[in-house]
Amino acid sequence: MKKVTLFIVYSVIMRTVLRLFSGTKLIHKENLVYTGPCIIVGNHNSHLDTISIMSHLPLRQLTKTHPIAAGDYFGKSPFKAALTRFFVNAILIPRSRPKEGETGPDPIQMMIEVLQKGESLLLFPEGSRGEPEKFQKFKRGVGLVMEQCPDIPFIPIYMKGLGKILPKGDPVPVPFDSYMYIGSPVFPKGTTAEEIVSEVELQIHKLKAEFE
Amino acid sequence: MILKFDLIAFVENKETLIVIGLIFGILVFATLLFWIMGLVKPNANIAELKMRTKSWWMMATIFVVATVLDPAISFVAIGALSFMALREIASISKNVREEDRKILIWCYLAIPVQYLFAYYKQYGLFLTFIPIFMHLWIPFMLVLRGVTENIGRSMSVLPMQLMLTVFGVSHLAFLLSLPELQGFKAGGRGLLLFVVFITEMNDVFQFTWGKMFGRYKIIPKISPNKTWEGFIGGIITTTVVGYFLRFLTPFSGMEAILICLSVAVTGFIGDVVVSAVKRDIGMKDTGNTIPGHGGILDRIDSLALTAPVFFHIVYNLYYLK
Repeated sequence: MKKVTLFIVYSVIMRTVLRLFSGTKLIHKENLVYTGPCIIVGNHNSHLDTISIMSHLPLRQLTKTHPIAAGDYFGKSPFKAALTRFFVNAILIPRSRPKEGETGPDPIQMMIEVLQKGESLLLFPEGSRGEPEKFQKFKRGVGLVMEQCPDIPFIPIYMKGLGKILPKGDPVPVPFDSYMYIGSPVFPKGTTAEEIVSEVELQIHKLKAEFE
Repeated sequence: MILKFDLIAFVENKETLIVIGLIFGILVFATLLFWIMGLVKPNANIAELKMRTKSWWMMATIFVVATVLDPAISFVAIGALSFMALREIASISKNVREEDRKILIWCYLAIPVQYLFAYYKQYGLFLTFIPIFMHLWIPFMLVLRGVTENIGRSMSVLPMQLMLTVFGVSHLAFLLSLPELQGFKAGGRGLLLFVVFITEMNDVFQFTWGKMFGRYKIIPKISPNKTWEGFIGGIITTTVVGYFLRFLTPFSGMEAILICLSVAVTGFIGDVVVSAVKRDIGMKDTGNTIPGHGGILDRIDSLALTAPVFFHIVYNLYYLK
């Protein structure tokens, strides 16, 4: 049921809407085809980022890819949380790890468990959406996860224009041209979380430079 | 609305069929030529020419299919062209303030209105809607936002973009709304085919002549590829081709020559104007690095100006009675 919904929502409806509305152009689409578990990382400027990536995933990966969403924003009410889980296939995580002595779910552990099940993650290391066409500092989370899953690659994606179509804090979408530049899967060389994060950051900046 | 399939009536119309045959003939010839060139001289740098030919195949097919089918589909197709061109120019334009993105919605909304006027043959409204009404409405909407800093730029750039991508291009659609003339069988479709073919061939001819014999540059700072040799060779060839294709139009021989000359010169003007705009926003150098990046504007920059010039010459000569 969920599989069919995801297919209809993304591969059929959203893909067509995006085509007509924003003419999203994919560069090196073939890099999105990766059968094993992986982490898709991108720059984050718009809610459309998640939707665009999901819409262009091959069907087999679509149902196995879970966008990571902030529990406090997307899980405000149980209804919103259920919608996000069902229609976005998302995993809701708390923004920070429990401090010592505190109990509660550990977001890093939650993400690792997904990868261990053989499924994939989609996350934006910048955290929340920034201003269109501008980068924010990358957060450590992605490094902490990859540090413990050394045999899992990340696929960097640089997105341009989507932040102009639907920027943060403005619910009215306006058509603009948009691009998704997809890099090939990278197995991180670094061993510590910091090294891996800077590697991810470097790859996305490299895509941006190559694109422009 | 019932869409009737007009293919049979169209195939019976010999004039248009000849030109469509000619278009695909040229494409087959170019494809074969570059293929053989690639075999003979494997090192020759013709990758760009091959890519251009490939996109010409696609554009020609879409164009021919859209004109062969019911006029309603042609209107939608030309309207979609306006939409994509406006989106492209709005996306690369840095002269409009970021916060004016919502005003763009009005620009996009003008597209269906303009094409409905064309479809329902409302000549007066079609002609005045963008130059008068939208030129009033967009500045007013900008004023209502209440920010005056750099407002003048947005006030001139947004309507200009509409003129180029919507007003200019929509004249192609109005050709299809022209009434039938006695003794002129090809009709609006013939005229549409004629002006698009002449304009695009003019681009190709100017490019080819310039590549082969170009020495003296016309405006090196804006278009380094535009030379006097290319320009003159281009307009002469275009005029010759137009002279022999005048069976698509009601023109006499002399009229065909003069009209083709003006189309060729206008096409050149459109090309350099858009080049200058692109150069202003630093686009020129990145335009071709990625296939499919940019693109629509490059093809319709000349058309956006030749279509209205051609239309109004024809209208005043033949339809104003």
